[in-house]
Amino acid sequence: MKQEKVGCRDVMSHICESLGEEIDSPKCIAIKEHLNNCDACKNYFKSVELTIDYYRKYNIKLSAPAENKLLSILNLNEE
Amino acid sequence: MEEKLILAAKQGDKKALTQLVKSYSNTVYNFAFKICRDKEKAENTMQETFLSMVKSLNQFDGKSKLSTWLYRIVSNHCLMEARKSKRFSYVDVESEESLFDDKYIADWNRLPVKELENKELKKILDGAISKLAPDYRIVFTLRDVEQLSTEETAKITSLSVPAVKSRLHRARAFLRKEITKAFQK
Repeated sequence: MKQEKVGCRDVMSHICESLGEEIDSPKCIAIKEHLNNCDACKNYFKSVELTIDYYRKYNIKLSAPAENKLLSILNLNEE
Repeated sequence: MEEKLILAAKQGDKKALTQLVKSYSNTVYNFAFKICRDKEKAENTMQETFLSMVKSLNQFDGKSKLSTWLYRIVSNHCLMEARKSKRFSYVDVESEESLFDDKYIADWNRLPVKELENKELKKILDGAISKLAPDYRIVFTLRDVEQLSTEETAKITSLSVPAVKSRLHRARAFLRKEITKAFQK
């Protein structure tokens, strides 16, 4: 699973995808232009971007005992 | 490499099967945690998922990725568990009117935004996503967190592509709103 920072293009792509538009479509270009000049929308999309980033980075690690228990349940004890 | 492992595991090679399980155990555990938001439930879901995988590996035709197959098993298991458990009530984001209210369009640069290492922030993230119905949570996690394509997400969840897009849009807006509310407190 790749881990990378969400960039503006990713966010724009998501917005346009949600609208059923290609990133280079006239509607998407118009949205991008509007975003460049609208602080409220910039703040909105920055916060969406951060929301996604927070959840993407929030990971936990499987402990060694839990992995061993799994292998044991599956009858795959390591030699 | 993975194809060879799958083939060997299908033929009863335990070492190959062990290697496959070990290469996906952390991914499956993490994905299950992201849906269940509970370590014990995530561990149980992981065990159930791999039991299903071992049981039906022979039916795996290789047309999709093994990870896609595993994501589907985890998703179905989580949805089934959520339906069984009626203790929780989720926010109906479809009829949630305030998702785009001006008062929640705050500049996060002016809010006390916390680092992810902060326990309080993790609590906020857990709290926000726990209010979201599992079917929305799954779409958000697959698409935005695991970074699968819309088409893959649709395939795993048995939803149409427009339905995935619509759920994703509302899930993002809902989570953003909930986090903003928590930051404003």
